[in-house]
Amino acid sequence: MKERWLRDHLLSIFLVVSVFIVLAGLTEGPRDDAAVAREQTVRPYLELDFLDLGNPLHRALFKESLALYYPREPGRADSILRAIDAHHQEQFTTEALKAGAQQRGFTVAKLKRLAPMYLQFALVYAIVLALITYGAQTLGTYRFVRTKQRRLPPFAEFLRRLGGLGRERGWRNGPRGLVESLSPLIQSLAKVVAYAVLFAPAYVVAYSLKTRFETEGYLFMVTLAVVSNGLLVTYANKFYTFLVHEDRRGYVETARVKNLHASYAWNTPEGITPRSILMPRKRFPGHLLDHITMNAQFQYILTVKEQATFLITGLVIIEMALNIQGHFCYELMQNILYRDYEVVLAIIVALFVLVKATDIAVDAFFRHESLRLGSRMGGA
Amino acid sequence: MTAYTFDILIARGRRILVDMEGFRLPRNHITFLLGESGIGKSLTGKALYGLLDPEQLNVVINGKQYRSYRRDELTRRFQRDGFFVFQEPSTHLNPLMTLEEQILEGSLARAARPETILRELWKDSTAGELIELLGVYPKPHRPSGGEKQRILCAMAFMKMEMAAAEDGADPLFVFDEPTGSLDNRYRDIVLEMLFTRFRRRPSTVLLITHDYSMISFVNRNFPDLAPRIDFQELSLGPDGLHLKEFRPETYSTWLSQQRPHRKEQGSPGAGPPLLRVESGMEVFGRALRFSREPAGRGEEVPLILHRASLAYLKAPSGTGKTTMVKVLMGLLRGRNLSARIGTMELDEGTPRHFWRKHIWGRKMTMVFQHADEALNLRAKVRDVFSGLPLRGRISRTAIEEEVRAFFGSGAGSAFFDRTVGTLSGGQKQRLNLLRSLLLGADLIILDEPLNGLDFASMQRVLKLLQERMEEGKALLIISHNEEIFDALIAPENVYYLSAGLLSSRSRS
Amino acid sequence: MRTVGVAGRVPVASAPGREDIRWFLLWVGGMALLWLWDLLFLNRPAFLQIQEAFWNTLLGAALVVVFTLLLGWSSALGLYFLESRQQRLPYLSLTFLLNLIRSVPQMVGILAGYVVLTLLIEREIILSSGLHILWMAFVISLFTFLELSDVIRERIDFYRKSDFFDAMLCCGIREGRIINVDILWKNGLSHILHKLIATFGMAIFLQCSIDFIISVGLSTDVSLANFPRTLGSLLASLDSKQDILAISTLFSDVTYVGRLLTTHLQGVSVAFTIVYTLVCVYKITNGLVKRYGL
Repeated sequence: MKERWLRDHLLSIFLVVSVFIVLAGLTEGPRDDAAVAREQTVRPYLELDFLDLGNPLHRALFKESLALYYPREPGRADSILRAIDAHHQEQFTTEALKAGAQQRGFTVAKLKRLAPMYLQFALVYAIVLALITYGAQTLGTYRFVRTKQRRLPPFAEFLRRLGGLGRERGWRNGPRGLVESLSPLIQSLAKVVAYAVLFAPAYVVAYSLKTRFETEGYLFMVTLAVVSNGLLVTYANKFYTFLVHEDRRGYVETARVKNLHASYAWNTPEGITPRSILMPRKRFPGHLLDHITMNAQFQYILTVKEQATFLITGLVIIEMALNIQGHFCYELMQNILYRDYEVVLAIIVALFVLVKATDIAVDAFFRHESLRLGSRMGGA
Repeated sequence: MTAYTFDILIARGRRILVDMEGFRLPRNHITFLLGESGIGKSLTGKALYGLLDPEQLNVVINGKQYRSYRRDELTRRFQRDGFFVFQEPSTHLNPLMTLEEQILEGSLARAARPETILRELWKDSTAGELIELLGVYPKPHRPSGGEKQRILCAMAFMKMEMAAAEDGADPLFVFDEPTGSLDNRYRDIVLEMLFTRFRRRPSTVLLITHDYSMISFVNRNFPDLAPRIDFQELSLGPDGLHLKEFRPETYSTWLSQQRPHRKEQGSPGAGPPLLRVESGMEVFGRALRFSREPAGRGEEVPLILHRASLAYLKAPSGTGKTTMVKVLMGLLRGRNLSARIGTMELDEGTPRHFWRKHIWGRKMTMVFQHADEALNLRAKVRDVFSGLPLRGRISRTAIEEEVRAFFGSGAGSAFFDRTVGTLSGGQKQRLNLLRSLLLGADLIILDEPLNGLDFASMQRVLKLLQERMEEGKALLIISHNEEIFDALIAPENVYYLSAGLLSSRSRS
Repeated sequence: MRTVGVAGRVPVASAPGREDIRWFLLWVGGMALLWLWDLLFLNRPAFLQIQEAFWNTLLGAALVVVFTLLLGWSSALGLYFLESRQQRLPYLSLTFLLNLIRSVPQMVGILAGYVVLTLLIEREIILSSGLHILWMAFVISLFTFLELSDVIRERIDFYRKSDFFDAMLCCGIREGRIINVDILWKNGLSHILHKLIATFGMAIFLQCSIDFIISVGLSTDVSLANFPRTLGSLLASLDSKQDILAISTLFSDVTYVGRLLTTHLQGVSVAFTIVYTLVCVYKITNGLVKRYGL
């Protein structure tokens, strides 16, 4: 087809799906043979009913006895123990499956169970992606404007005010003076807490709040996905970097010379209003910032693809670490545990397809915009 | 008052970039600021206009810190009523807005007659083509560099007319290399429009340039404005910047004394040519032809270069001179290439590694126009000469001697340890030239060799080129300093390049 | 600024700031403080566990950085040389493969790597904990090297667009030298360093996450016996989890901070180490950007 980028995306989906189907076929066969062979080796030891291998003391004694019996084969004890462990593992997964009355392998019943979970996951993913894009751009723009306002960071501001307090106004101003000087300190502390939450991996945040809030709900999960794992911060930073780069470009100088507003003060006729920063479209008519954000947003489009993979990583971490039953990635974890690799592969492919769908959507949008601007998007 | 005087100090960190006292800008005069590129002319212009960023640079003007200078009443009037035409037009237009939107933005929305100005600047295009151009979103190749520069000049002229209509206006117009990307036809048009508007209503104009041929233009076309035109030259000496008045006669007299160098010995046909390029190369959808007459008239001839001679290739900007030489140098692929260098044949089937093994640095080399891009600004001067395929022909000491001879007394041993980025534009350009001249190649292509040089450096470089040529090298020159090279090069060595669309025959 | 006559004018140096060094020192200081606090208030076995976990994690992240550098550099240069030598098919295949990897969510890929690891352990190919860390580092680097590769390619393309490349080629300088010495070493080092430090932070994040998930969700008493202890697995242990759960009592009782920092120290230390390191890495990379104007 003519659209090379689309062809590449579809081709990679096709390739990955085929590879995974092949892999699924491969993992089933050898396992049973290995299991049988192992059982043969291990049977005599299993029949020793006084041996409780869960007890560390017994394990140690067992090892030493074997070492006495087979003095010239030091590794033998270890490998026998490993074989026994593997055998137990095998038993465990089969029993667990039997208990859950599920069969091995990818069946229609499984598909019917997984499909709604997948859709639910995709929905959460889409909402979080949109929120992060908006949040990153808003935070990035806010940080840019604050940088341009050249204020001191809150802690330094607190120290400055504290220093000035004694000299200028004295403690006579009482509570108001105190609050004014304390407010940057509070801001500073709030910033520390915010940093802790923004950068912490999701499970740390979740477990800190587990006994307080209901952590199984959707609202919590969406908020957690947006805020933690360093995702919002990384992309806000990226957007801020784009803004800074665009600010240095020539057309901003030209706009300045055309007498566009150049002040970044809050709420002045030549400045910026906080409200306009919160708007999704980020337009600042008659101001330099308009030119800058316009170009930064255009540059940002392709970053959404990166965001997608990072976001899936974050969601996988959240769902797995929080052990939320009935969710897609929880299933992934369960199936890895039970060694049901066919389902695992299917889930992985489903996640990959989700990322690819995002890639296709982003590339299509970018291409549309490029065509509107009269340039052809580069080939590969 | 009759003149503004400025003491300007610009520094980045601890490094002083510009330090001058008593820079005199006469009010309602045109002041030409000449000098080689990279010494701070643009910075000075931007500083005066109030465009520099106090976060990045430490600027003090007339004893005032930059923040308060910018809030000054005079500066505000400069900005409100004036304009600044920037040097590098390619990045000075927003790629996400149409040209029309950008021309009518901000204070320009109140301008009276943009159409007349644009029509004049696009004399050679139809009304339809102009309208189409205005609907374009600026991209690297469309509009072209020259067109972008004309757009910026159009904006300046619109502002000039607005200032003419208001009474209390006190503008400052700064034109920073306004004709660098323009070829001579449009350069003349722009200068014409500028001086006509100035004549109608004088304002304070600072014209930063290193194109000395503007002097001839003014003498020819606007002699009545001479009392209102001043020439200052900025030069970088070992102890800092020097600003002195420049007598335009210096240039004019020198120019009138230039004569083409003609060889005494035998006719060009005596030895085999060093270079022979057949006309008709095809690249980027265009067919390039060489001829002896401008604008594609005259029959097609091959480009021939003999030992110890100079050839001058002329064409309007955008035709493809640089493209042609890049194909010849193997940097771009072109169809229908047919050239011979010495005994080696080159055609479109020649693989790239052939150039790498045999030609680059050995038989032929090229000196690029922007020394800032051609040199590694982070390298030290001595590193510039390492990695060259000199094959032990020239020892280290010999290189150092050559550098010293070329740069004069300024090149002590400390010179070799300086970072290239700290040199002035003229010094970089000379270093760029020297690097190529030290190679054993007999064939040298020079793309705008006088770019960014001041008068003194220009003379030095021209002398050097003459010397090398007499030693036996063959030089192919591309330059828009037509005035100078027309005087220096005999007409039999001038070639014209023209571009035509590919004929249907070859478009198979 | 004072004007002291013509000759003596010295401008105030507006120093660009050495924020990256400052935050590095803050990180070292913070870790040292934590070490001291733990030494005083944490019981010895837990303290030793935390130390071991800390160094294992750091080692893993460092290995990720090394692998990322190797893979990123070779892939970028490989792509460049394939492209310039006009080898269409290998170039397209390599680009396709890299785009494929780009679309795989990191966690999914690392999980797959973990699954392969368990198979390798079962088949007794990987036995020592060193090899274990090496393998996981390699798997993680497979999903982080592309960013570095992009940075290197971007640098090369930037100089190819200008006359830089062509001018040096015409003087006969070898391509390999132009790329490695002139572009990357002289003009790209700060970019590469910036990306490597960011990769270090990412490695810590991914490593801790995968270890946590394995310990929480994928453990049976069978497979965990020989895994090297890292911060992530430590965090998942029951003691640490209890400690972190206790953080939420701060909401009802702010004075609980005291007990939190003395008795619930294990979990809090581990969590603090992870979060503080990630914050510092972020600040260091920002500082580098400011200093070198990347």
